[in-house]
Amino acid sequence: MFHKQSHLYKSNDMAATFAFLKDVRPFKTAWKVQVKVIHSWRQNTENTVETLELVLSDSMSKQIHAPVLNLSKVIDESNQTDSHSEFGTSSCSSGINAEIEFNLGRGRAKNTMAVNLTAEAIAKMLNGEVASENDMTPVLQVTELKMIQSKLNQNHESSNRYKITLSDGILSQQGMLNASLNSLVVQGSIQLGSILKLTRFVCNRVQTRRIVVVADVEILVEKCDIIGTCVQSGSPNEPGRSSVFDQQRSGMGSVITQQSNGCGFEQQQAKRTDLNGGRYGASAYSPQPQVVHNSPDAVRYSVSANLPQPQVVHNSSEVGRYGLPANSPQPQVAHNSSDAGRYGGANLAQPQVGYNSSDAGRYGVPASSPQRQVGQRYGTGSGYSETSPSTRPYGSSNAGYGGSRLEQPRAPPATTAYSRPVQSSYQPQPPPMYVNRGPVARNEAPPRITPISALNPYQGRWTIKVRVTCKGVLRRFSNTRGEGKLFSFDLLDSGGGEIRVTCFNDVVDQFFDQIVVGNVYLISRGSLKPAQKNFNHLHNDYEIHLDSASTIQQCYEDDPTIPRHQFHFRNVGDIENMESNSITDLIGIVSSISPSVSIMRKNQTEVLKRSLQLKDMSGRSVEFTMWGDFCNAEGQKLQMLCDSGASPVLAVKAGRISEFNGKQVSTIGSSQLFIEPDFPEARELREWYDREGRNAHFTSISREFTGAGRQEVRKVITQIKDDKLGTSEKPDWITVCATISFMKVENFCYTACPNMNGDRPCSKKVTNNGDGTWRCEKCDKSVEECDYRYILQIQLQDHTGLTWATAFQEAGEEIIGISAKDLYYIKYEHQEEEKFEDIIRSVTFSKYIFKLKIKEETYSDEQRVKATVVKAEKINYSSDTRFMLEAMDKLRTGDANSLPVKLESSNYRSDALNSGIGTSGTRDTASVDARREFGLPAANQVGQYGNQYAGPISGITSCNACGSNGHVSANCPSLMSEPQGQYTQGRYTGGGTPRQHVGGY
Amino acid sequence: MDTSSPSAFVNGALLRRYIGQKVRTVIQVIGSDTGSVVGKSTDDLQIVVRGPSTTPPLTTYLEVIGIAESDNSIRAETWTNFGNTFDPQNYNELCKLASGEFKHLFI
Repeated sequence: MFHKQSHLYKSNDMAATFAFLKDVRPFKTAWKVQVKVIHSWRQNTENTVETLELVLSDSMSKQIHAPVLNLSKVIDESNQTDSHSEFGTSSCSSGINAEIEFNLGRGRAKNTMAVNLTAEAIAKMLNGEVASENDMTPVLQVTELKMIQSKLNQNHESSNRYKITLSDGILSQQGMLNASLNSLVVQGSIQLGSILKLTRFVCNRVQTRRIVVVADVEILVEKCDIIGTCVQSGSPNEPGRSSVFDQQRSGMGSVITQQSNGCGFEQQQAKRTDLNGGRYGASAYSPQPQVVHNSPDAVRYSVSANLPQPQVVHNSSEVGRYGLPANSPQPQVAHNSSDAGRYGGANLAQPQVGYNSSDAGRYGVPASSPQRQVGQRYGTGSGYSETSPSTRPYGSSNAGYGGSRLEQPRAPPATTAYSRPVQSSYQPQPPPMYVNRGPVARNEAPPRITPISALNPYQGRWTIKVRVTCKGVLRRFSNTRGEGKLFSFDLLDSGGGEIRVTCFNDVVDQFFDQIVVGNVYLISRGSLKPAQKNFNHLHNDYEIHLDSASTIQQCYEDDPTIPRHQFHFRNVGDIENMESNSITDLIGIVSSISPSVSIMRKNQTEVLKRSLQLKDMSGRSVEFTMWGDFCNAEGQKLQMLCDSGASPVLAVKAGRISEFNGKQVSTIGSSQLFIEPDFPEARELREWYDREGRNAHFTSISREFTGAGRQEVRKVITQIKDDKLGTSEKPDWITVCATISFMKVENFCYTACPNMNGDRPCSKKVTNNGDGTWRCEKCDKSVEECDYRYILQIQLQDHTGLTWATAFQEAGEEIIGISAKDLYYIKYEHQEEEKFEDIIRSVTFSKYIFKLKIKEETYSDEQRVKATVVKAEKINYSSDTRFMLEAMDKLRTGDANSLPVKLESSNYRSDALNSGIGTSGTRDTASVDARREFGLPAANQVGQYGNQYAGPISGITSCNACGSNGHVSANCPSLMSEPQGQYTQGRYTGGGTPRQHVGGY
Repeated sequence: MDTSSPSAFVNGALLRRYIGQKVRTVIQVIGSDTGSVVGKSTDDLQIVVRGPSTTPPLTTYLEVIGIAESDNSIRAETWTNFGNTFDPQNYNELCKLASGEFKHLFI
């Protein structure tokens, strides 16, 4: 890190021998290296100190990173990249690996004692924070000293006063020495360069400026090079320095800026200049070539071989202002664009200077230059006011300045393009200098960082300091207004505020490449729009839309106060009760992972999918599904970890809860996965898992394996009463394996309205008009022919007991085997009583698997639990046997879960089921309900059941080998060596098998 | 019901326990010869069933009740076609249960 005592030389000043960078070590002082600046940028740190960050390379191609804290050493970035420069510093410290940091302010100048100027003292004086010695006793350096003769009383010695300019190395401040100190000046104790501790002083405001009146000092160092801005004696710039002092018209301090564009160093002296008003006002018009107002060290650094004269360079923007031809040979005062704002302020205060008063405007204007940035930067400065120069704190200068930042990668391309060519084309042109009086419109206040949480749409200007946590892909869209593209990224700040930024079209080009996940940026300007909650799950009601006037500036120094990620973890147990499609963060132990499979999407594209089981301290587990690229990157890593026997911790940022097969969590585009992350939650989880979680039993809120088949809870009939099924708010859904022991054959069906209502028949009861037509109350129509629908009252019996149940149309058909209409005709139209009885007999005493809906209904103040058959399936003895074998197996191995257990009806979402049908005027409300259920596709219900009765709780297991249900892998047909073709689960029905004796006795 | 001579449910492996006793099993027919049928037991062992020649056609699965002659042969008394779809796994499990833990219920 360069500090005030560091020296930067032009490469044409080749006197010394140079060390190589590899030889530069901490604690080694007084070395010199010759390096090339290969990269540089500016950076604002949290406390508003701006540094210039350089990457230097020497002739051996060794690179080093060198932050420059003292901005007096600012380098013109527009040129430095190809310049050969030589840097030397007097000290350095803390070199690690390839990076050596030059330490700031702790080194000592070669010829001074170890004295540190008080950092920011001047800034504090300027802004009024320090008004007297009571606030601070700053150590400052005298950079100017001039005797003033008092006109009032010329005869008295005491009327001689010394005007003094004090510097803290960065800013300077004018002041007067109390007459009592004159003797010190006379005897040489206070001279140019002396370092003083102000033990008694007062900061006064005189007109628009502040003057420090020094009453008493402690002299720390009598003789010293001027720190920070000093001029090397013997440097070729000497003339420049003298001119500075000669030029003084107003007698104020001198400081300046200068730009040696040719050499690649830009002098960014801004701070020192602002108080030195008026000096150059005249010179601006002066035909004299000498007007170089270089600050001492500006001179030093600017020294360029190609500039034979100490005069300097001029920025294009001034051409217009002064009306000079662009290539005017007229020597003029150097002017640095980066000082624009500052000088602009001065100009306002000093209209006599004669040129355009608004520097900002001037700079914004350059015809050829789309230098948006300048204007905009001005805009960002906050807290700056015309009348209070004091508001500009030290170190902030560039907050608002485009000058040297134009090169920064974040600058819009146009701006970048501008700065280089323009500057070079006007290179040798001597710039005029303007006056700095009271700064007026400066814009260099540090960007005041607004917390994300404070952003709102009514705020014009703000700057946030944020870390990019997530960056979306560039997407293209087309709408009525044409094609477009957009991308978005998510931000997090140190206050934990989150917000999404969206860029459209051109702005995408501007910023897309710049945004890198994990980096810290200063982002200014942009409009706040209500967040699009469909796409944006962040906890913020707004999102930012950037436009071309927005700036994004990278902070190369990481800010540890901004977390890398922010999680709002919910445990798996909570997720069970969260709404589907909501976004959550989740952390858990991966207990198993399945390989990637390719899924064909509806739009005929294939996508990879990989599922894993996550469990956490809530004792629940959930299926987590990765889609797309996650399967390969994170998925592969997890697979490897799991294969090696580990149970990795996985943190999921922004997963979406879905309700496919129970609750699941799956990735979305902006999800992020962290494997074995290092943060407290993960450590806690790991600890818990190692301690107890490993052996704990988990209940899944997902169905772990999909597969067709029965996934419902098998119950026995007495459990309907014993478990008080149906008495909770929602119906209970069970299956029983039972025999139809009785069936009411009267009124097995009713006459129904066949009118189509939407895509399904009305099905309300119709009444006979007596004339052969049927009237439907609901449709208010009569029809020639009515429909017949089942309403079967049946008695079910299993080994535990009996229950009544009602089977409506579809279930009735499943039970009877023919439609209600056919059966009606057999019985009533054709009077085939025998046939009818055969049919009924064939059904009674047959065993079915019934899916029942159990719900308590109220009839005339009487509570009755109604059972409605939703689905009836002739028993498949083979699969039912397997089911029983498994149940026995579990029973014997003592797994209590294999027994039918109580339903958790709260988990069941019946709403979905009720959406469908609902018409029909049947006799009672129960039947209406039942009908609704009936109309739904069975698959739907299967899915529903699956949600709830997943996993071990149901006692129904899934085969690991073939994925189907109803058997465990030990019994899986796919693993058996029997010829597979013989057995098909669906085909075999016990009753129907031919069983014939072949021989025997 | 004649309970004096119950027939034990066996698969191929259990057969040897009941040599000289009455057993019943289901085989998948592999081939038939005069006076014998070769089949595969539900636990995938080969069993030869001898006895009065059967009346074709045989279905894929065949239940045989008879006396266990050796650990892989049965002298059949009763043949029953069991159809072409049969779940040998379930039957195998039944055999194991009926000769093991729940033997008391069967014999």
